[in-house]
Amino acid sequence: MSSSKNFNLIVPAASDKAGHDGAMPPIFAPGRDGMLFCVKAVTGLNLDTFDNICFTILRRHAEAFDIDTLLRLQFRRLGLDRAEIVVLDEPTETQAETIARTIGIRGMQGPVFIKDADGYFKADIYPENGVAVCPLESLDLVDPRNKSYVAVDDMQHITNIIEKRVVSHLFNAGGYCFGNAEDFMNAYDSLKHLGQIYLSHIIYSMLLDNNTFRPIKVSGYIDWNIK
Amino acid sequence: MDIEVKGHSGCQIDVVREGSELYVYKSSCDPGYLGRLVRQAEKQREAAIPEYQHIRVPRIHAIDRTDGKVQVKMDYVYSKNFVEYFEQAGFEQVRYLIGALIMYLEREIQSSPLRTVSRGIVTEKFADVKKKTLGNSILRDDAGTVSILERSQAVFDALDDMLIPVGMCHGDLTFSNILFNGNNYYLIDFLDSFIESPLLDIVKLRQDTAWLWSQLMYVHPFDTIRLRIAFGTIDRELDRHFTHRYEWYGRYYRPLQLMNFLRILQYAREPRVINYLKQTINEQLKEL
Repeated sequence: MSSSKNFNLIVPAASDKAGHDGAMPPIFAPGRDGMLFCVKAVTGLNLDTFDNICFTILRRHAEAFDIDTLLRLQFRRLGLDRAEIVVLDEPTETQAETIARTIGIRGMQGPVFIKDADGYFKADIYPENGVAVCPLESLDLVDPRNKSYVAVDDMQHITNIIEKRVVSHLFNAGGYCFGNAEDFMNAYDSLKHLGQIYLSHIIYSMLLDNNTFRPIKVSGYIDWNIK
Repeated sequence: MDIEVKGHSGCQIDVVREGSELYVYKSSCDPGYLGRLVRQAEKQREAAIPEYQHIRVPRIHAIDRTDGKVQVKMDYVYSKNFVEYFEQAGFEQVRYLIGALIMYLEREIQSSPLRTVSRGIVTEKFADVKKKTLGNSILRDDAGTVSILERSQAVFDALDDMLIPVGMCHGDLTFSNILFNGNNYYLIDFLDSFIESPLLDIVKLRQDTAWLWSQLMYVHPFDTIRLRIAFGTIDRELDRHFTHRYEWYGRYYRPLQLMNFLRILQYAREPRVINYLKQTINEQLKEL
């Protein structure tokens, strides 16, 4: 078990949607370059920034499709000797729960960056509270309905984050940074009884509790639309 | 633009264009409600006189009473309802709202001298509530309701005379009666209250922030989790503020909140509402 205040990267890949119908989730499929989508998802980041890199998957997927073996091959190809795999025995209800369980299992402390496994972007990530944002107008084709949106004030502080309501030209590109894993866990623990909580709910709650979040501007955003 | 106007009191609500302005006409022909509507309109007219930061009250332009009808003319306010507001409000807007509500309630408190309210007023009110609840055909044979009434009786029997501020009170200060326009908040639907105390306004606000009553009544789909997060923050701030400042708040908030929910229960007929009210009241009784 790693326990440090180092910068942690988590890629939650433990989705077990009914729509998958027992098939392998498409984030574990390879693209034309032979790289799994969920691994490709982090290649726009400077991975040297992170001390620990953690992919969280389900035991069912590991056993049915050898996902852990596939991931290790990809780690070797990319030279990611710091990358680890957390295997959850049971599916989680929410992405937030996947992250909370990963933090708990790995004993993570300090900053955590969470990168969605179904999209790609380039960005510099710093160990402070932030949300990866991309302007709608930078994309040629986008479905604006399935995203969360982020409002930013003139001082470059995030003032709002909302699911599926276009309140800003900045949408959440699928990256979230918490300056301290403990802050995330405290917010998660206070909200988990509410049911299907999104990470945007956790960040909104932390904003209301006077925590500051910065926008993380990304480039080269690609949504593979493969959840 | 569609204009949606709803009333909760059974009054007729009309929006009328006169020249370039829109006005709301609220009227009733219910003989049992005429005097009450006049008192409410007069209360709103008085409340519109002082100026508050962010809090506004639509002006009353006329109160016309004829033999069988009362008609009240007031300003129309373009606005969002509380769900539309909270679904989009960022943290700064929620903080503005908390500040504005506290300033409004503080103004009420400063304008309301501390007076002794006889415990008899509360026990009489409870006797009336109990009678009406046991007259409600859905509730009278329900063992859970009877148990609630018995335990509530013990709470009110143990209550002393209350030294609380008496004077100003909206009377029904729930989020359903607040219209949201940017960082301005318009209070509507003033009501007469059995005790005209700012404490009763805090009780009504926390009916929503702590107990989510207006969310229960809202019929359209919305992000319930987001609203619960925002309401939780507002509730903690209100409770912290008044707990630190006023001894009477800590002493009498809970029994008066219990009375507030019992007053709703007495008229309840819908099963989901009755279940919610019984659960809420039982939780409150555990805390008393």
